[in-house]
Amino acid sequence: MISVGLDAGSATTKAVLIKDGRKITQTIRPTAFDFISAAEIAYQEVLDHAGIGKKDVDHVYATGYGRNSIQFADKAISEITTHAKGVYHLYPEVNGIIDIGGQDSKVISVNDGKVTDFLMNDKCAAGTGKFLEYTARALEVPIDDLGSLAFDSETPASITSMCTVFAESEVISLRTRGFTKQDIAAGIIESIARRVAVMARQLELKQNVAFVGGVAKNTAIKSALEKELGISLYVPAEPQITGALGAALYNSN
Amino acid sequence: MLILIRKRLNMHKIPMLFDKMHCFKSLENLKSAYIERIHQVSDERRSGKKSVGTFCLFVPDEIIFAAGADRMILCGGKNDTISIAEQYLPRNICPLVKSSFGSIVNDGCSGVKSCSHFSMVDMIVAENTCDSKKKMYELLDNYVPTYVIDLPQRPDTPEALKYFVTELDKFRDAMEQLTGNKVTNERLRQEIISSNETRKLLHSLYELRKRDPSPISGVDMLKILQKQYFLSPGELKEHLRMLISEVESVEPEGAHRPRIMISGCPMPGGNTKVPEIIEDKGGVIVVEESCTGTRSFWDMVDEDKEPMLALAERYIEIPCSCMSPNDRRIDNILELARDFKVDGVVYYTLQFCHGYNIEKYKVQQALKKAGIPMLFVETDYSNSDVEQIGLRVDAFMEMLS
Repeated sequence: MISVGLDAGSATTKAVLIKDGRKITQTIRPTAFDFISAAEIAYQEVLDHAGIGKKDVDHVYATGYGRNSIQFADKAISEITTHAKGVYHLYPEVNGIIDIGGQDSKVISVNDGKVTDFLMNDKCAAGTGKFLEYTARALEVPIDDLGSLAFDSETPASITSMCTVFAESEVISLRTRGFTKQDIAAGIIESIARRVAVMARQLELKQNVAFVGGVAKNTAIKSALEKELGISLYVPAEPQITGALGAALYNSN
Repeated sequence: MLILIRKRLNMHKIPMLFDKMHCFKSLENLKSAYIERIHQVSDERRSGKKSVGTFCLFVPDEIIFAAGADRMILCGGKNDTISIAEQYLPRNICPLVKSSFGSIVNDGCSGVKSCSHFSMVDMIVAENTCDSKKKMYELLDNYVPTYVIDLPQRPDTPEALKYFVTELDKFRDAMEQLTGNKVTNERLRQEIISSNETRKLLHSLYELRKRDPSPISGVDMLKILQKQYFLSPGELKEHLRMLISEVESVEPEGAHRPRIMISGCPMPGGNTKVPEIIEDKGGVIVVEESCTGTRSFWDMVDEDKEPMLALAERYIEIPCSCMSPNDRRIDNILELARDFKVDGVVYYTLQFCHGYNIEKYKVQQALKKAGIPMLFVETDYSNSDVEQIGLRVDAFMEMLS
């Protein structure tokens, strides 16, 4: 049986194609303005990679922010459920998931791949990829350099503002006060980790916790979160695709 | 609103609950009830009858009616009068307080129209519950004479009851002064019996919701609950009787849907956002632990006791989060969850409602212990978070099924 999972996220669109419960291929592309066409292109890409025609696909499942708009999907599933399923496929022993995406962050409590509780921060950009994007801009460094800069800091600056817009101003004021780029970068990373750790503690995630979503690629945030929670985190090789993977696996046990 | 939400969420793939659920004629009748009531109250006022506006379950209806006055609830559920209120009130207080205040002080300059009943009261009967309301009432008095009943905030002490009795006595005097009518014990007893009848009717209706599948949706139920303190008691009872006989005869079809309890803040007329999302996503609301729900009718007033004491005893026990401690609310939630066989609880609060937002923690711990999943939704009257709430509710339904 062949099925495709599509994760129409706010920043990137992901597709995973599986055959008989095994991943064959995947793709990640920017969502841009039109998330329906991004999903269509991602779908076509995995078909092309696998050398499979549309008629051979048994099921298409959609998840992510734009899940309800993908007309050619058989079913729309929330990304909370699909992340749990995708992570379970990779690490069956996991009982907690931290997902930091482009516009929200979530913590999920799981048991054998099933969601037992979850929390989301989606009303405000603090603790999300957007927060990194804005503060990196205020620091005038590319977002990808933020992590390596942070590793070089010995005395991280303290960023206390809960609001992304005000945190941006806070970064600028730290610059004028003579803090180094490294210390401010470390402050930004600590701030996001602190914010997400509060949610993880609320769900009592204590061990076997996976860290997924685009922000999980940032190793400085991973270390800051590990320090904050006092545990080491599982990070998949491709932390962005667990939602699409879980969607593709929706029908299988 | 429902169509709007469906359009925005593009929910073409989600089975519609309301297609399957029965369409109740008595709820259709409610549509014309608003305008009929407006005519009724303006006729009454022309003939000299006084009309008062209330905001809260702590104000005993029985005393108002025994004084020969009429009453209408003034709690605002609409988003568009909030900007009017924000000319006077801080932005960061709850939408209910802002919407109500905006609806009352609205002079029409901004092009926003308030519902007619907001300008049809001779006096407002307010109550000292939360800080936002208390301070808002002080400003409101500049527009409409506002009488405030004080509430003891530690309800479980004997002193509290004594104090509340004296507050209700003063309120009775104020009503006598407004109407020129004497509030006799005899009249109070008649009104207590009448209000208990309404409570019993609501109990019968809720009893039917214990069936699985529930014969009536939560969105439908809310339509009548939102009119509970707007209609005259006679009309309300008429509507309830009709609805009960209709609901009794419905044979509910379809598969089991997750049975949801809503617990938390009230949902005044105009505000149905979260129940619509829950039922659109496949759940069915079977009980509301809120002021637009069980809190309004669950307990009876003792018909055999001295009326003012009986009223004080019943009303002081309303489990509002402004009371401390408020553990009877937790007990009540657990009892309702069991009796209505709920699969999950949606804990619903309005932004900046500190009482219910803080009490969430205790409720969450109690539900966790009882093994009942809970989803927390904090929102306002705008439509800006419909998608985000939709995602949480989707995930919650997937978790429950």
